[in-house]
Amino acid sequence: MAKLTIGVFSSLVGSLSLDFAVKLADAAVKKGHSVDFWVSGNATMLSKKEQRAFKDYSALQKTLQELMKTGNFQATACEACAEARGYHKEDTMEGFQRHSMDWYLASGFSADRVLHIGGD
Amino acid sequence: MAIKKIAFIVKSLPYKTEASRLALTHAIASQTVEIYLEDGDNVEPVLAFIGDGVLNCLKDQKAMNAYGVTSLEQHLKNSLLLDLKVLICKEDIGKFSLSEDSLIMDAEDIGGETKANIVPFSEIMKEMESANHLMFF
Amino acid sequence: MKLGVLVSDYRNMEDTLLRLTADTLGIILVSNGVYHAKVKENGKTSPVLEKSPHLYALLEDIQTRGLENEIDGRVKSITYNDLVDLIFGEYEKVIWI
Repeated sequence: MAKLTIGVFSSLVGSLSLDFAVKLADAAVKKGHSVDFWVSGNATMLSKKEQRAFKDYSALQKTLQELMKTGNFQATACEACAEARGYHKEDTMEGFQRHSMDWYLASGFSADRVLHIGGD
Repeated sequence: MAIKKIAFIVKSLPYKTEASRLALTHAIASQTVEIYLEDGDNVEPVLAFIGDGVLNCLKDQKAMNAYGVTSLEQHLKNSLLLDLKVLICKEDIGKFSLSEDSLIMDAEDIGGETKANIVPFSEIMKEMESANHLMFF
Repeated sequence: MKLGVLVSDYRNMEDTLLRLTADTLGIILVSNGVYHAKVKENGKTSPVLEKSPHLYALLEDIQTRGLENEIDGRVKSITYNDLVDLIFGEYEKVIWI
């Protein structure tokens, strides 16, 4: 099975691009592929723990946590982008890693495909 | 031992969104990617500005003075200082009636030796063809 | 090069998509890109549909926008599962614009 690296810069709230990326990751993992999921810029909002679900806003925490349990999905947030937004290590969802931007490029190095979703 | 080429294609205007800034910072991050890779493996970045994205390359940006943030000009110069390959689309600078003199073509003021290149879109397309992965910003 | 382009916008295709060349170019309409499959601006279909014979649109994004049953006949509706297969099976590189 193959590896897909998805990089996303879009905000959790205010755009559905991050929803798209998580749905694509979910479909890929269910087909037996592995997915590296990089969030940078405004997308680091996704790494924040204790998100509350409201009907008017995207809520992806539950899907993410289920994906993480599969062992074929790793989510990583850009540490500087998160810190700049006040999301510190202790604010990060369990299972979500934090690294510098070179992690994303290294993930791309070993990926069969990279889908980079720029910010909105 | 392998080199994987990633093409960072900048099509967005600067400042209103973070897109072009993240293109440059991610491209520059290629300089430290080796810490995650096996010996001899590496990532080769190429930066290309197309469409509205060529306006990131204008000289005399004063974002630090105005907003206290690093300018795209500074990031572009840092990219050249680190010897990244930088391409600027010839047709698009023509479309915007920009002269080469108005663009950041080198980083000599900070000790850089590598220069940016103004090339036809077809050359940028060739870079995309030879890249392993493409990222549009 | 076999290039799959995920088109996520309705505007601003001239500088990017319409200039791209590839041996095989697939256009996958997602997000607001799905409007290319439906809207006839000034009576004309989107030039995006003329760019390639390989046209797809994400069904969930079509349905989300109330466009089901009204999309151009050249465009094939696909699911996320289909999209995964396209990404790995049909194209060497994929981009999102």
